[in-house]
Amino acid sequence: MGDYVVFHDVSWHASYAVYFFVVGICAGLSFFSFLSWHKPSLRPVREKSAYLSFALLAVAGLLLISDLSQPLRFLNVLNPAYLNFTSPLAWGSLNIVTFGLASAAYLFMLRKGDEKWGRTLAWVTALLALGLPIYTGYDLTAHQSRPVWNTPVIPVLFVALAVASGSAVASLLAMGNEAARNMLRLYLLWSTAAVAVILVSILGTTNYGGSAEELTFIVLTTRTMGAIFIGLGIVAGTAAPIAMLLAPFGRRQAGLMFAALLVLVGSAALRYALLMGPQYVQTLY
Amino acid sequence: MSEELRTSPIETRGLAGKKRYAMVVDTRRCIGCMACQVACKAEYDTPLGVNRTWVPYKVVGTYPNVKKHFLPRLCNHCDDPPCVRACPVEATYKVEDGGFVLQRYERCIGCRSCMAACPYNARFMLPAHRTYTAITSVVDKCTFCFHRVTQGLVPACVQTCIGRSRVFGDINDPTSEVSYLVATNATQVLRPEQGTKPHVFYIAGDRSQMEFGRDAYQRREVMDQERRMFERNFKA
Amino acid sequence: MSDTKFTRRTFLKVSAGTTAAAAAAPRLLQAMENELGGKDVNPVTLAERKAIPINCHVCNIQDGAIAFVENGRVVKLEGNPEHVSTRGRLCAKGNSGMWYSYDPDRILYPLKRVGARGEGKWKRITWDEALAEVAKKLDAALKEDPNTIMMKYGRNRTGGTLDRFMKTLGSATVVNHTSVCESSKKIGMEPTWGPDIETPDFANTKYVLNIGSNILEAAYFHNPLSQRITEGRVDNQMKIVTFDVRLSNTAGFSDEWIPVFPGTDGAVALALGHVILREDLQDSEFINTWTNVTVDELKAHYKDFTPEWAAKISGVPAATIERIAREFALAKPATLFTYRGPAKHLYGSYNEKACMMLPIMTGNIETRGGYCLPRGMGWPQPGPTPPGAKHASYLSTPPDYPLAGHKVSHLVPFWIAEGKQKINVYFTYQDNAVYTNPGAQAVWGKLFRDEKLLPYIVSMSSHMGEETALADIILPDCPYLERWEPESMPNSLWPWLGIRQPVHASLGESRENRILLRDLVHKLDPDGKRGMKQYWNFKDAEDYMRQHFDNVPGLKEAGGLDFLKKHGVWPIYGKLDPKTGKVTDKTGREIKAEYGLHKKELGTADMAGAVVDKSGVISKNGKAIGIKRNGRNYAGFPTGNRLINVRVDEWAQYGFNPMPTFKRIPWHETMKEDEMILTTFKLNVHKQSRTAAVKWLAEIAHSNPAWINAQTAKRLGVKTGDLVRVESKVGHLVTKAYVTEGIQPKVIAIATAFGHWEYGRLASLRLKDKPAFGGQEDPDLNNVWWDDKGVHPNAIIPVVADPIGGSQGWMDTVVKVTRAGPNDKYGDIQGNWEKHVEAYKETMRYAYTGDMHRKMHPEMASWAGPASVKPKSGGGGH
Ligand SMILES: Nc1nc2c(c(=O)[nH]1)N[C@H]1C(S)=C(S)[C@@H](COP(=O)(O)OP(=O)(O)OC[C@H]3O[C@@H](n4cnc5c(=O)[nH]c(N)nc54)[C@H](O)[C@@H]3O)O[C@H]1N2
Ligand SMILES: Nc1nc2c(c(=O)[nH]1)N[C@H]1C(S)=C(S)[C@@H](COP(=O)(O)OP(=O)(O)OC[C@H]3O[C@@H](n4cnc5c(=O)[nH]c(N)nc54)[C@H](O)[C@@H]3O)O[C@H]1N2
Ligand code: SF4
Ligand code: SF4
Ligand code: SF4
Ligand code: SF4
Ligand code: SF4
Ligand SMILES: [Mo]
Repeated sequence: MGDYVVFHDVSWHASYAVYFFVVGICAGLSFFSFLSWHKPSLRPVREKSAYLSFALLAVAGLLLISDLSQPLRFLNVLNPAYLNFTSPLAWGSLNIVTFGLASAAYLFMLRKGDEKWGRTLAWVTALLALGLPIYTGYDLTAHQSRPVWNTPVIPVLFVALAVASGSAVASLLAMGNEAARNMLRLYLLWSTAAVAVILVSILGTTNYGGSAEELTFIVLTTRTMGAIFIGLGIVAGTAAPIAMLLAPFGRRQAGLMFAALLVLVGSAALRYALLMGPQYVQTLY
Repeated sequence: MSEELRTSPIETRGLAGKKRYAMVVDTRRCIGCMACQVACKAEYDTPLGVNRTWVPYKVVGTYPNVKKHFLPRLCNHCDDPPCVRACPVEATYKVEDGGFVLQRYERCIGCRSCMAACPYNARFMLPAHRTYTAITSVVDKCTFCFHRVTQGLVPACVQTCIGRSRVFGDINDPTSEVSYLVATNATQVLRPEQGTKPHVFYIAGDRSQMEFGRDAYQRREVMDQERRMFERNFKA
Repeated sequence: MSDTKFTRRTFLKVSAGTTAAAAAAPRLLQAMENELGGKDVNPVTLAERKAIPINCHVCNIQDGAIAFVENGRVVKLEGNPEHVSTRGRLCAKGNSGMWYSYDPDRILYPLKRVGARGEGKWKRITWDEALAEVAKKLDAALKEDPNTIMMKYGRNRTGGTLDRFMKTLGSATVVNHTSVCESSKKIGMEPTWGPDIETPDFANTKYVLNIGSNILEAAYFHNPLSQRITEGRVDNQMKIVTFDVRLSNTAGFSDEWIPVFPGTDGAVALALGHVILREDLQDSEFINTWTNVTVDELKAHYKDFTPEWAAKISGVPAATIERIAREFALAKPATLFTYRGPAKHLYGSYNEKACMMLPIMTGNIETRGGYCLPRGMGWPQPGPTPPGAKHASYLSTPPDYPLAGHKVSHLVPFWIAEGKQKINVYFTYQDNAVYTNPGAQAVWGKLFRDEKLLPYIVSMSSHMGEETALADIILPDCPYLERWEPESMPNSLWPWLGIRQPVHASLGESRENRILLRDLVHKLDPDGKRGMKQYWNFKDAEDYMRQHFDNVPGLKEAGGLDFLKKHGVWPIYGKLDPKTGKVTDKTGREIKAEYGLHKKELGTADMAGAVVDKSGVISKNGKAIGIKRNGRNYAGFPTGNRLINVRVDEWAQYGFNPMPTFKRIPWHETMKEDEMILTTFKLNVHKQSRTAAVKWLAEIAHSNPAWINAQTAKRLGVKTGDLVRVESKVGHLVTKAYVTEGIQPKVIAIATAFGHWEYGRLASLRLKDKPAFGGQEDPDLNNVWWDDKGVHPNAIIPVVADPIGGSQGWMDTVVKVTRAGPNDKYGDIQGNWEKHVEAYKETMRYAYTGDMHRKMHPEMASWAGPASVKPKSGGGGH
C-alpha cells in the first residue's frame, strides 16, 4: 500500500485442484474396476467404474489442456525432441497418455467380453492409474522449495485421496447392491482414515517447521483457507465420514451415501487447500 | 575450474574457460529509486502486472530507531535451476557459456511448472495485452539481458542503477569487478538451502528481508490492501 | 620488464582454481568489463536502436539522456554516458519519459471550449482559428493595458522564450510557481552567499548533515547527487544524518534518522551552531576572513540558542544535538544539504539561513568534500531584445513582500479576487495550480471558473491537467522529447551546456512552445508594423538554438550547435569507466573538480582600473568584482560585497532579524493535545501533478495513504487501511491510514501526485472511456490492476506565506485526525473558499506591513516601521 508493492500471482490456480480431484476419482474408479476381478462382491461396479473412469479421464485431459496458456501447444509435451525427463509433468503426460490408451483397450475388451485380456488390461490400467495420484502428488513434492508440498507423503496422500474419492463414487454407483456397498464401505473407511493420519503428520511437521512452514500453517488454518481446509476438508470431509462409517448409521445405505458425499466434498476441499495454501507465502516474497 | 569451487553452494563459477555472468547487488548502495525496475520494463515492453525485476522494501525497527532496507530482486540465473528441470518441453534452458537461463517462447505451453519450481518468484505469465511486442501468454523472466550482454553491454537495470548497487560481469574472470566484489566482501545469496546456486550475490543484505517466510518483506496488512486489488483485477 | 609482461591469458592460467589469487589479484589487471551504455538493441530482433542525445525533463533536474528510437518510436531512454553529472543513469521517472509523448490521452490538436468552463466539452479547431482567436483577445487587452495579459508558468525550460513573448507584448505580469516550490530556501541563501543553491561534494565528504531534503527520492538534484551519496557512503565511508519528520527513503538510508517536530529545524541548527561555538570547534580563520561578522560577534549572537532550548521545541534530545555538533565540526570535510523541509514554513528563510551557517562556521565552504557553490553555464539570447513592460505588475512584484525575489504566486488568486490587478487574458504554461497549489480546486478552481475575474484562459499544454481542463482554449504544446531547448543545471561540480532536441516530428498537430508563440506573434503583427515581429525572426526552433549556441566561446570551436546535436552536452570531461562508473580522463584516472572558487585570484587584466575600498572590496565600474584578503586579490563570493553575509542588512531594513535566528510558528505553540501537523511530500517515482498518467510509475505508486505513527494510530484506534478523517481550518478529507514506525508521532503525512480528477483516463482511473484528443490507445492499459487512485490533500491546506521568502508553508497545517465516521467516504475532500480567504488574510498579517510582524520580532524594536522603507522587486526561479 502506498508505494512499491509488487505482486506475484500464484503459479497454479484453482482449476488445477479441480483437475487433481477429477483425475483422482478417475484413478480410484479404475482401481475398483480392477479389484472387481478379484473381489466378486465388486462385480457390479466393474463396467460402470471403467466407463466413468474413462469419461473422467477425458474431462481431466480437457481441464489440463485448457489450463495451459497455450492449449494448442499441448502436443509439444509428446514431441520426443522436446521431452524433458527431469520434469514430473513430462512423466505425468506419458502416464496419462498410456493410461488413456490402456483404459481404451480395457473398455474394448470389456465390451468384447474378453475375460483374459480384460483381466490383464484391468491390471495394467490399474497400475497406470496408481501412477496418476502419484505423479500429481509428485508434481507438488518435487517443489522442495515450498512448504507442505515438499513433504514426501504428498504422493501417498494423493493415492489415499484417490482411493477415498474413488470408493465414494463407486459406492454411489453401487447403490442398490449391499455386498458391494459393504466392501466399498471398508475401502472408504480405511482410505479416509489413511488420509486423516497423513494429514495429521503433515500438519504436525508443518507447524514444527521453519518460518515459511509456520506461516503456511497459519494460512491453512485461519481465515477462508482455514474454513476450507479445516472445516470442509478435515472436519466435514474426513473426521465426520469416519465417525459416520464407524457408527451403525454408516452401515446403512443412506449412511454410506452421505459419508461418500462428505468424502467427495472433503477430498475436493483438501486438494484445493493443499494446492493453494502453500503457494501463499512465496507470493509475499 | 577446481572441484571445490564447482561444489561450493555459493561460489559456483560455471565451466572452466567459459564465461559465467553474475550480478552483485550491494544493498548498502541501493537507494530504492526503482530506476532498474522501470528500465527493465522499457527494455522489454514488459506489461503491467508483471516484472522481471523488482525492489521490495522493508521498514524495520521501532520509532525512533527505524531503517528502511531495499532488496533488488531478479532471476538468479541459478547454476542448478529447478525451473529448467521442471519444464516438460525444455522451453526454458540454460546457456552454458555465460550461464543465462532463458526461454524459448515459441515452445512454451504455459503449464507454469517452472513458475512453481522457481523458489524466487522470478517467473511470470505474460498477459494477453502488450504495447508493441507480439510475444504474449507464455512464461517470461529476466534474461540477464542476454541480447545486451552478448553485444558487450551491461544489463539495462545495471546500466541505469543510480546507486551503482548493481554490478555485472564475468565471475569466471578473476580480474572482473564482480569477482573482486565477491572476493573482498561478505556476500549472501537468496535461499541457499535450495541448492540452486544463485548467481546474484548480495552484499550486506538485511536478514529480515532475505530470509524466506513470515513477513518476507512487508507486513501482511500492508500488502493485503493492494493484493486484493491485484487479485480482483489482474488477468494473466 | 619481462616478468611484468604477462598477458591476461597467462594470468588466467596461473590463478585459475585458487580463490586466494582471485582475492589478491583483481586490482592488478583489468577485465573486459561490459560497457555502461550508449547503445541499445531490440531484444527480439537484435536490431540496433537509433540513439539521439536529449535532456531529460520528466522532472526538473535536467539529466543528460539518450533516446533510443525504433520504427519511429522512442522505446528506451538512458542516461547520456558522456554527461558529466548524469554519468549514463536516469531515475525511474526519466526511464519512463516516453509516456509523456505516447500518453493515449495527450492533446494532439487545438481545442476550444464549447460547454461551461470545466464541463469537459471541447471542439477541435484549426491552428489558424485558434491563433486568430487568441490574437483577437490579445489585441483587445493590449489596447487596455499590456499588464492585463498574464503569464503563469510552472516548469519553464524554454531558455527565455516565455519572457521574450511577454516582453514583446510589453506586459510585466509574469508569475512563476516558485513560491509553492522552494523559494524560501533560495531567499535564505541568496543574500548570504549569492547563489540560490549549494553543491555538496557528497562523493568526497566524511560527514553529511541532511536537513529536510529527500535527496534520494526528490530534491535538486536527485539523480546526480544520489550517485555521489552512495559513492561517499560506501567508497569513502562517510556518515549521513538526516533530519526529517518522517522516514523518507533518504532518512531510511541514513546512518541516523533524527525525527524533528515540523518547522523546528532552524532551532536545531542554531543549537548545533551554539555547541560548535561554545566548544570552540569553529573555523575562526574562515569566519574572520570570508564573512561579514567576526567569531566574537557570532559567539555572542549564538549564546542563547542552547541545546536545551532547541530540544524543548524540536523534540531532538539535547545530548543528540551536542553529539552531532561535535561529530560534524570534527569531521573534515563535512557538508550540509537542505531542501524543502526547513524552508516550507512561515519563516522558512530563517530556517534555511540557520542551517547554512553550519558549513560556514566550520569552514567547509568550497573545499573538497565540502559545501560548494553551484557551477553553471550561460548562453546568449538571440537579438534584438524586446524592451519589456513600462510599469510594474502588482501580481509579479507584490509590495508587501519586497524580499521575496521569487514572487508569491500562491497568493495571486486572492489578489485577483480582491481586484488588486485586472486580468483580461491568462496564459498558463506547464503549471497546474488547480491541483498543485495550496487550496487547489477550492481556491484556484474557484478563480478559474470565474469568467469575470479571468475572462479568457489560454492553456499551452500537452495534457488535460486539472487547470487546462478549465481553460477556454488549448494550444497543444509538445512534451520534452519533441522540443528544442537550451539547458544547463548546476547538478554536479562540473559546469555544462546541453540541449533538448526533438526525437521525431511533433505528434498530431502539436507545436512546440517557441514555435506556437512565434506563430501567435506573427498573427498579431503579420507585417511587422507593430514592431513585435522583429524579435521573432528565426526560421525554426533549430535556428533559434543556433542563435543561442553558435557563439558560445569554446563550444563554438567544438562545433556549436552541431556538437550538441551529436553529443547532447558540452564539454565532455572524459569517459565513463565501466569498472567504477566514474568519469575518467585520458590517463584513466578519475576527473577532479575545481574547488575554492572564491579563492581564485584576480589577474592583472581584472585589476586594471579597479579600486579597493577600506574593507577590501574590489570594484570596477561601480560593481564589486573581488575582495582583498591577506594581501591577495580574490574573486570572493558572488554577493554585493564579495563576502558571505552572515548579517543580511537588507533584512533589517524591513524589520527582520538580519542575523541567523529562529521563529516558532505561533499556531504550533497553541496546538491542542489531539491536534497534529499535516505534512506533504514527494515520492521517488512521481513528479508532482504530471506523472499520474505514466503507467510504469502509476503501477509502482498509485495511491497515497496517510502515514500515521503506530503509537498515534493506537490512540486513534486505526489500523493500516482504515479510513481516517483529516480536518484543517479550511476543509477536510477522508483517506486511508498507513500505520508505520517511520514518522514523528505528531505528524500525519500525505504524499502529493495522486487523487487526480483530470489528467486523462489512467490518472483519474476512467479507463472505460476512449482516448479523446487524437491519441493512440495503448493495449497495455488492459492490464491496469489497481483501482485506487489516492486522495489529493491540497484543498485542505491553507495558504501561508513566509514574510521574507514569500514561500508557501506547506508543512505547517494543524489538523485534527479521527477515525472516519459513518457518513465519511473514501476520497471525500472539501475545501472552503471563504475559509481559505480568511487564511490568506491571516498570513498577510505576518508580512512586514502586517500587524503580527512587530510582535514576532521584539528584538527589532528599534526598527522604524513599514513607512520607513520603499518597496523593491526581484525575479527568477526554478
Ligand atoms: N521524485 C521527484 N523528484 C522531484 C520532484 C518530484 O515531484 N518528484 N520535484 C522536484 C522539485 S520541483 C522540488 S522543489 C524538489 C523537492 O525536493 P525535497 O524538498 O527533497 O522533497 P519534499 O518531498 O518536497 O520535502 C522534503 C522532505 O521534507 C520533509 N519535511 C516536512 N516538514 C519538515 C520539517 O519541518 N523539517 C524537516 N527536516 N523535514 C520536513 C518531508 O517529510 C520530506 O521528506 O524535488 C524535485 N525532485
Ligand atoms: N501537496 C503537495 N503539493 C505540492 C508539492 C508537494 O510536495 N506536496 N510540491 C510543490 C512543488 S515543489 C512544486 S515545484 C509545484 C509544481 O507544480 P506545477 O508547477 O503546477 O507543476 P507540474 O505538476 O510539474 O506540472 C504542471 C502542468 O504542466 C503540464 N505539462 C506537463 N508536461 C507538459 C509539456 O510537455 N508541455 C506543456 N506545455 N505542459 C506540460 C501539465 O498539464 C501539468 O499539469 O507543486 C507543489 N505542490
Ligand atoms: S510454462 Fe513454459 S517454460 Fe514454464 S515449464 Fe511450462 S512449458 Fe516450460
Ligand atoms: S531464479 Fe528461478 S527462474 Fe531464475 S534460474 Fe533460478 S530457478 Fe530459474
Ligand atoms: S538483467 Fe535485464 S532482464 Fe534481468 S532484470 Fe536486469 S534489465 Fe531486466
Ligand atoms: S536502480 Fe539501483 S539503486 Fe535504484 S532501486 Fe535499483 S538497484 Fe537500487
Ligand atoms: S531526476 Fe529523473 S526525471 Fe529528473 S531529470 Fe533526472 S532522470 Fe529525469
Ligand atoms: Mo518544486
